[in-house]
Parts: sequence; structure tokens; C-alpha cells
Amino acid sequence: MPEPTGAARPTPERIVVVGYGPVGARFVDEILPLVEAGLADLTVVGAEGEHAYNRVLLADYAVGRTDRDTLDLTDGSRARAAGARILTGTAVVAVNRTIRTVSLGDGSTLPYDRLVLATGARANVPTLDGVKRVRRGLMKPGAAAATLDSAEAPLPSGISALRDLADAATVLAAVQAGQRIVVLGAGVLGMEIALAAAAAGAQVCVVYHGEIPMNRNLDRGAGSVLTRSARRAGVTMVNHARAESVLFHHDDAGVERFEALICADGKQISGDLLLLSCGVGARTELAHLAGLPVSTGVLVDESLQSWADAAIHAIGDCAHVAARPVDADLGAAWNGARMAPAGGPSGLIGPGWRQADSLAARFSAEITAGMTTAGTTTVDWGAAPAVAESAPVLAAGPGASVVMLKAEGIDVVAAGDTAADPFDVDDSAHAHGCAAGDPAPLAVAQWADPEHGRYVKMVTRGGILTGFVCVGMPRTGAELTLLFERGSELPADRSVLLRFDGPDYDPETAGDAFAPESTVCWCNGVTVEAIAASAAAGNVTVACIGAATRAGTGCGGCKGRIGEVLERAAAQSVP
Amino acid sequence: MNPVDTHCPYCALQCAMTLTPAAAAATPAAAATPAARPAPAVRPADAIGLPVSIAGRAFPTNRGGLCKKGWTAAELLGSAERIREPMRRAADGSFAPISWTDALDLIADRLRASRAEHGADSVGVFGGGGLTNEKAYQLGKFTRLALGSSRIDYNGRFCMSSAAAAGNRAFGLDRGLPFRVEDLDAADTILMLGSNVAQTMPPFIGHLDGARQAGGLIVVDPRRTATARLTDDGAGLHVQPAPGTDLVLLLGLTHLVLAERLADTDYLARRTTGFDQLRYSVAGWYPQRVQEHTGVPVRQLRELASRLAAGRGTYIITGRGVEQHVDGTDTATAAINLALVLGLVGTTHSGYGTLTGQGNGQGGREHGQKCDQLPGYRKITDPAARAHVAGVWGVEPEQIPGAGIPAVELLGALGRPGGIRTLLVHGANVVVSAPDADSVRRGLKNLDFLVVCDFFFSETAALADVVLPVTQWAEEEGTMTSLEGRVLRRRRAIDPPAGVRSELWIFQELARRLDAPGVYSADPSAVFDELCQASAGGIADYSGLDYTLLDAGEPAYWPYPAGSGGTPRLFLDRFAHDDGRARIVAVTPRGVLAPAQTRGALTLITGRLLEHYQSGAQTRRVAELATAQPEARMQVHPATAAGLGLTDGGWAELANERGTVRCRAQLSADIRPDTVFLPFHFPADQRANLLTAAATDPISGMPEFKRTAVRVRAIAGPDLPTTDHERVMADA
Repeated sequence: MPEPTGAARPTPERIVVVGYGPVGARFVDEILPLVEAGLADLTVVGAEGEHAYNRVLLADYAVGRTDRDTLDLTDGSRARAAGARILTGTAVVAVNRTIRTVSLGDGSTLPYDRLVLATGARANVPTLDGVKRVRRGLMKPGAAAATLDSAEAPLPSGISALRDLADAATVLAAVQAGQRIVVLGAGVLGMEIALAAAAAGAQVCVVYHGEIPMNRNLDRGAGSVLTRSARRAGVTMVNHARAESVLFHHDDAGVERFEALICADGKQISGDLLLLSCGVGARTELAHLAGLPVSTGVLVDESLQSWADAAIHAIGDCAHVAARPVDADLGAAWNGARMAPAGGPSGLIGPGWRQADSLAARFSAEITAGMTTAGTTTVDWGAAPAVAESAPVLAAGPGASVVMLKAEGIDVVAAGDTAADPFDVDDSAHAHGCAAGDPAPLAVAQWADPEHGRYVKMVTRGGILTGFVCVGMPRTGAELTLLFERGSELPADRSVLLRFDGPDYDPETAGDAFAPESTVCWCNGVTVEAIAASAAAGNVTVACIGAATRAGTGCGGCKGRIGEVLERAAAQSVP
Repeated sequence: MNPVDTHCPYCALQCAMTLTPAAAAATPAAAATPAARPAPAVRPADAIGLPVSIAGRAFPTNRGGLCKKGWTAAELLGSAERIREPMRRAADGSFAPISWTDALDLIADRLRASRAEHGADSVGVFGGGGLTNEKAYQLGKFTRLALGSSRIDYNGRFCMSSAAAAGNRAFGLDRGLPFRVEDLDAADTILMLGSNVAQTMPPFIGHLDGARQAGGLIVVDPRRTATARLTDDGAGLHVQPAPGTDLVLLLGLTHLVLAERLADTDYLARRTTGFDQLRYSVAGWYPQRVQEHTGVPVRQLRELASRLAAGRGTYIITGRGVEQHVDGTDTATAAINLALVLGLVGTTHSGYGTLTGQGNGQGGREHGQKCDQLPGYRKITDPAARAHVAGVWGVEPEQIPGAGIPAVELLGALGRPGGIRTLLVHGANVVVSAPDADSVRRGLKNLDFLVVCDFFFSETAALADVVLPVTQWAEEEGTMTSLEGRVLRRRRAIDPPAGVRSELWIFQELARRLDAPGVYSADPSAVFDELCQASAGGIADYSGLDYTLLDAGEPAYWPYPAGSGGTPRLFLDRFAHDDGRARIVAVTPRGVLAPAQTRGALTLITGRLLEHYQSGAQTRRVAELATAQPEARMQVHPATAAGLGLTDGGWAELANERGTVRCRAQLSADIRPDTVFLPFHFPADQRANLLTAAATDPISGMPEFKRTAVRVRAIAGPDLPTTDHERVMADA
């Protein structure tokens, strides 16, 4: 560790961020104080030509519900003012780990002390006859940023994913023209765009493989209720459908365009636009070529540092957070030679942003303390102050985070494992070898009202909420989300939570305004009972009541009600 | 004596009232005041045995009405508990009378000694938002010139500092309501964030009627308070976010206003700077994520955003609920940003405001009680401001010390080496009202010397070496600046008890004994004239005012420079920054998740009750109020109570690393199951502030009062037999 000496300023730490999406941009925001202090030299390389935007809102933009500028997360001005370089529309083609540089598409190189991979994910293109397949494997990424994902095989006309602004423009055109849109895949993003497009006037059909939509997040009950709700919203739902091939026609300009999707059982679903919503895959080519361990993403430990290179980190959709094996050979030979570790990128923005915050906080602490990345592959970060509260959320695989369907009028939110049934016997205690008294027994409570589009399941361990799914009950869903995020205990009477969405929770109809203990005059804290007693003592006008009890002598807003209380008292005293 | 027009001693609404001294009370009340009073205002029964009777008086703010606190205020004038002569604490802890001359000589000696031995900054002064403008001004001057100390701050730091900092940052000026209270009457939509006005300043709620009739009263509060209930029956909407998530809620609303194209882009371009950074900062706060953090459903967020943008007459108002946090300044800023994006501020029909709490919470933060401030809301670090004030005071600018330290830091320095050795307290009861109250009590006990000016032996006065009895509202002249920035006259109706003096006289006497530079008049009118001069050219400019003008009934809203007619509505043409524009400052939540709600781990929020005011030093001594609310009760949700074995009226213990509170539980579905509520008015082991932390907002110094982690359990109460288990054990 270099000793900070007198006036000599330490050389700024060179940080290169590959990827300028929402997670990369968040990292930039968080690391800026270090750049402003002259302690870090920051370069961000982004393949898209734009400054970072909020991809989560792409569906809203794609159906015309919001404007392009609502998506903007930055214009880079603050980062540039701090002295950071932002290279948009630029591809990174190689990471040269031994000399610690990255090579750019234009042939130049950038040196780094710390490299952050935030390359995100691309849309999966399923195997369909008629759509050319791309072999990625160990292929070197192309030098042209604009066609980074599609150079070898651009999607045919009338087929699109929904991952960037260009895709959104394609979808928007179809929606505005009121066209038929076939959505392949019923994950959360597929359902969101389907419902939004239908609401915006398109004719929408969702084609999916399993029995229920969002099957990664929902149990059968919730999925069934969602299916009904989606149909009610005008979306055609086609389940148990295995898509096999695509039919094309030639339009007036002679261009081959999407015509219909053909399923394994021979079903043909025709439309104007086939929207692929078949999940995403991490962009890991750079890491793979550089010999870093890769599974469903770039493998990093809980401090977000590559398993094999202490100078390289990954965050967001390209990162696969998993504990590093203790004595593994982590060289290039690792790849494919082992079982994939559990977990993987969550595909959600929340965990990605938390990773960006956490990594920036760690860098800041280390660099401020004068620590540099050592030349070995193992560095003990133990001394760095951990961001304790975010540690548990870093390894956020599917299920560990809250998933919420963004749709108007259809409220779906789910988190954790909700597979268990209320009448499942909890035998996990036996499985773990402690026969008596599981300290945290599993329990499930459930409410199903498909007719009214409502469904709730709450899964607890030792009373602590570990999973839930909630459809059609927005307040309950919001409360369960808070309880889940905090690892909170549920009230013993679980039905308390259901009542948030009940008509009786809305006090407009609750409570008797003329109950004895009801307050009539808030200014003076006078109850119905006190007014009635005063009336019984002979104070039978609003003015007399005011003089005797002060009711109505504050803002005066309750005088009408005092009159009503007096009328009732008078009516009751008449024999 | 004749009936006298004045204003209520308590909150910042400053309800107008007429006091009729006992000797004159026989005269029919109607003859004393205009006939337009809506309520039978005088209750002769009250006057029995009391020095004055109180009548409500027609005025735009309270329209003749008063709340329970105002009606009963006269009980304190002749209270048997009143201190009627200076008291000195003896070695055994008991108090004995001491003459004014001896008391003042002793205090002057100790002040001189502390300064000589430990430096001028070893003497601290703690003021209050209930002091008149004249007292607050003189206290600041006395501290800086007579004591030579920079160590002055006040309890307004616990109330208004976050909103004040946010207002100054955004508008270049902080006047709680930059419009008149009655302007709210015409509004279609009023968004109240974290304010329970129905209990804290009840006559105010009449001004919400217009919005309620339009179905547009929106109350944001984790509790279903009396104010939240005003939204029932179609009058509006109650939004119930988890405690401490207000900032996220506001960012989410701003996001929606932008996403749904509801922003006033023309206004933003003409009247503000910084919009782009705001746009980027809220892009990530889409409604689903906001729901995840706040618990407020997306549908309600959308409803709220579209209502706010629905048209003319929309006000956004913040209160302590959103401001008393370690991110209170940023939260108030987020509310302001939302108002700016909607184009509300500085128009004739809409606006943003904060509801000032204490009687002179507005004036008290303008004239030099704040550690970094000189009269006229001037910065003490600004050379031009120092030169101007030094000129008025007749001293050299170098004789005015620099900036001091804010309240929580000042209280934290009590009795510490190099900290405060001697403290003067005026109009504050920090043993009850300050966060981490027990460490404040310990700090006071470690002082070399403590002087408290009060009417009663408050919990703080009880620790003093010398207590000086001072005048109450009905016994003194002065001015108060209300929540709408209107300067009001407080008038004397009766003479104070013989041994009681005004603070102005005390400052004069002490200054004389300390050979202080400058003049210290004991005449409120003369002090006001000097204050007006000192404020001339400042932000809060009073220079066009005097008692004659105010006594003529002039509705005097500051700034009121000489030659002007005052400013009822601010910012119509320009904001107070040099470029005339409002500054949008993008803010980001830095909070962490609240702790898990397990086995009694809950979030405590603190607040007020209708019957009591602040630390309760006054209202707990009014029989009618004390009978209605004799003790602290912890509000808790029945479902949570069931899990903890708490019963309605049964005893509960709230504890954390700072302290333990024992009180009865009150079961109510009006509170979220993860939250409990305690009023902060009560003493001893019912002090809510035993539990709150001295953590503060980095910009304003505001403590975190509204989000404290506590552990709650059921206990056998002091007046209960014992638990069944214990009884069985005893029998055995």
C-alpha cells in the first residue's frame, strides 16, 4: 500500500466501465465523487449511441404511453464535468488481462486498474425454422457497436424483440397502426407488453409453452387468475403451445415479412408483428474470451469481483453472483468443465442498481484508503467496509426479488418460493435430520376468488414471510412486498392483510358517525356522547352546545353534525 | 382594565382572541368585540376565578374559533404552580427564593467567570420558537454582544429547520406559507404531507373545506389521523406510506407527472433551473418500484398524480411528518420539486408551503436565534450582513462572533470538556423535547451553571441552578409572526404577578452588569423598531413596520420594506435568487430499509395530541386538558398487539439502546401494523424522546423524530396486580 506523502497526490485509479445501460450509469453516478476528488480516472464505454435510459420503461414507450425523454437517466453532463470520459456507440472487442487494457472497435486501447463489466443482456432468439441462428460461443465481438448483437443474423422483417429503443420504435409503429401482434413468451415482460399493447388498441395474442403465464414467478392459482384477467383485458392467451417455425410473405416492396407462427401441433397464429419475449441471455463473450469463469453470467463472488481476476468486476444483467469455490482451478479450463453454480442474473433492475451502489461504495472506500488492486489474482478485501445492508440482496437469483407486473388494472406481484400448498406437510425438519421441532416450520395461507380476479398466497417460515403471490389486490400486494423485503413476521391472523383491499377498510362505510365515542368537534375534542349529555341537560341548540361544551367553537366545520346529533337526541327523547 | 385584542399563546396559527380582565368581565362580551363572531365566544364559567376571560375574535385565519387549548389558556395565568419569584437551587436540591438583584448578580458573576476561565463559547444559549420577535431578536444580540458567544440555537431546529433549508435552497427565501392561509379556501386540491392539523391547529381545517367539497383533500400519513379522516366520504384520499418513505413517494409522483405529460413545461422553462437533473433523477422511480418501497399501490399513485395536475388551485403542504427525518431537507425539496414541475409556486391560485408549528416559529427563525444567522434572515457569515447589523448595534463587525453550532450538536456539547459549561434556556424544555432526551438531561447535570427562564418548574427548570420567572402572553407586549408570515401584535391585558419580569428586562439588567456593548431596551416597541432597522435590506425585511401601523390593523406580511405595503403572496414575479428563478435540486434517497418487523421490533413515530402543546409544560398544568389526556399512550395496531399480548389499556414497554418508555397501549386500526405512535408531551419515563436518536439531517441539523427502531413488549403495569404467572409464584 503506497504511503500518501505530503503534497504528492496519488495517481488516480483508472476505472473502465464496459456498458452504459441503467446499471453502468448508476455505477458512474455513484463513483463520481471519487472522480471529482481526483482519486479516480473514469472511462465508460457504451455500445448504444444514446446516454443511459431506463430500460424498464421501454414497454410504456413502445405503446406510446410515455415520451422518450421520460426514459432518460442521464445526459452525461455531470460525469463529463467531473472529468470522466463517456464513449457512446463504441464496442469493446477484447479484454487483455495480462497488460490490463481493453481494445476498442476502432483499434485503440484503454488501460485500466479496475474493470467493471456492465454489458447487460440481449434478448434470446428461440430456435424457429425460418429465423437464422447465431453461433456465439467463442466468437470475437464485432467492432461495430450498432450491430453488436445482430451483425451475423438480423431478425427478419416483422419479427422483433423488445430490448432497445430501435425495438421499441418497431413495436410502437405496430401499436399505432392497430396491428395484430403475436407475443411469443408469457414471462413478466411478455405479459406487460401484451397488456399494454392491447390497452393501446393493438390486437394481441400471447403464445406460451406451459400451462400458465409467468410460470417462473407464479403458482398455478395465480397464473390461472392472471390468464382470466388478461383475457378480460382483450388479450388472446394460447397456452401449451410449442412454437416451431415462422411463415413469411413478401410485401409490396418485395421484402420478406412475418406472416404466421406455426406451433408443434400445427396451430398457425398469424399476425403483423412477432414479438419475441423469450428471456434474455447475459453478454459474456468478452469475459469468456478473456478466460474468465462464466456460467449464466460472468461469475463473480459476493463482492462482485471475478472469480479469477481481482481487477475485474461484473454488475447487473451480465453478472452471475455465486460463492467462489475454495480450491478450484479458475483458469479458462473452468468454463464448461463444471456444473453451473446455482443462481444467475435476476434480470431485474433493483438488484442491478444495488450491485452498482455496493461496488461503487467498495471502490470508494478502498481507493480513499489508498488501497490499489494488487497484482495477484487473490486480494483480501476483508478490510474494506462492507455495505452490510445490501449484502444479502447481491446474490439475487429468480425468486429472491419481488416481481411486479406493470399493467393497468391488473395487479400482480410475487416474490420468493410459492410452490408450497396449504396442506403440504412440512417434512423439511426430517430432511435436515432434526426430527423434533423444526424451529421455523413452513406454513401457507391462501385466498382464491377467481370470479373477481383475486388470489393471494403467503408462505412463511417460523412466521417470517418467505414467499408470496398476490393478484388483483393492490394494497395487500404492496403491504406484502414491504413485509417480504424486510423479512418481517406476518400477523398471526393473516386475514388482516386481505382486508387492506376490502370495502370495510375504506372508512367511508366503516364506523358509525353517531356512535357515542365518535368525535364530532375535532378542535375541542367533543364526542357525540358529550353533546348528547349536554343536550339532556337542556342545551338543545347548536349555540348552547357551543357555550357548554365548546363543540363548534373552533373552525366551526362541525356545526351541521352537532345539529344532527341534537336532532337524533331529540327524536330519541320523544316517547 | 379594558378588553384587549391579542392572539393565542400556543401554535403558529395564532388564533385571534379578546381578553377581558376579571374586573371588566361583567361587561357583556359582545360589546367588547365586533358582532360578527360566529360562536358564542365568551364562556363566563371560564372566567370564574381566572384573571381574564377569553373570547374568540373574528380574523381571517381562525374566523372567531379557538381550540380547546386556546379556550383554556387563561388557567395558567393564576396557576398555583406558577413561579412568582426567582428561585435558587440549594446543595440539597431544593429551591429557595432569591431576590432579583442577588439572582442577576450571581448569574452575571458566573457568566463572567465561565467566559474568563473557559472562553466565551463556553456559555451557551438555547432559545425557543414561542418567544416574541422582540425577545428572539434581543436574545441573539445579547448572546453575541453581551456574552461574546457564538453558541446560540433554539428548539425551532427540531421543527422547521428542514423545510426552512429546503425553502431557502429552492426559492432563496423561507416563509412557511408564501401565501395567505385564506387563499387555501379557493383551492380544488390540497396535498398535506405529514401534517395532522386537525389535532395540532384545529381551526385551520376550516380552510380545507373548499378542497374537501371538490373531493381534493389528499392526506399522506402512515396513521389514519383526525386529518386523514377529513378525506372520508368522498372528500379526498388518504395515502398511507410506510414511515420514512416519503421521499420515494414524492420522487415517484414527480416521475408520474413527467411520464404522463402532466408537467408545466412552459413554467419550468421560464421560472426554474435544474430541471434536467431532476428528470434524470426520477427516471428510475417508476410506480411499481415506488410501490415496492412505500407500500402505496400503483393505482393510488396514478390517481394522485393526475389529481395534482388537474388544474387550478392546487397546493402542496408539508409538515413535521415528512420533515423530521435525517433526510428531511431532501424530502421537503422533493415536495417543492413536485410543486415546481406542476407549475404551482408563485402563481395566484396554487403553491407550496410548510406549516410552521410553534407560536412564533416563523419570526423566531428570522431574527438571530439561529446559530448561523443575523436579524432579517441574514447569514452571519456574509460580510455585508455583519456590517449592516453591526451598524445598527453600534459595534464593529469584528465584535460579532461567527457561526455557532446547531441545537443537537450544542446539546451534545453540554458539560463536555471544551464544550458548553454554562447554559441559559429561554422558552424551551429540552429534557422532554430534545432527541435522546436522557443524554440531554445528563448533559444539563454536568454543567457548571444552568439558568432557565420559565413560568413553571418544567422538567428542564427543575435541573436549573437559578430559575427566573417570566411573563406570560396576556401580561406582555410584543409581536409574533404567524405561519403565513403575517406580523401580529401580542398585547398586555393584565399585569404580571409582582415578582415576575419580562426577558427584555432581564437582558437589560444582565447586559448592564456585564458592561456589554450596545443598547438593550426593555421596551418592546423600541426593540421592535431596532429589529426593523436591523432587518432592513435583509430577506425578512420588516423595516416598513412599527407598532402604530400594526395596531391600526394593517395585514402586514413580510417582506415589508419601508415604503411598501408588504407581500401577501410571494414569488409572483420572481423568486428570491439573484437570477429570479427557482432552483430545482435533484435529490436521491439514501435511506436503508426499515428493520424487520419481528417479535416486537417496530418503528416508532412521535407526534402531538389535540390537548397538549410541545413538551406539555403548560398544557399538562391545565386541568381540563390533563384530564382528557393524562398520560402517554402507545398507539398500536390490534393485529400487532395480539401477537405481543398487548391489550387496550394494558401496559407496554418500548425500549432500545437509548432508553425505555413504559405506558399504556391504545389499540387502533388507524396505524400500520409495523408502526407504533407515541405523543412526545409527557415527562419522566413516558418521554418519547428517551427513544429517539440524536442523528441529524446533514443540511438542516433536524433530528430524526419519526423513524426510531424500538422493541415493544407487554409488561405488568405499576397499578396492576402482576401477571398471572407472578401471582401463582407468589401464592406458592
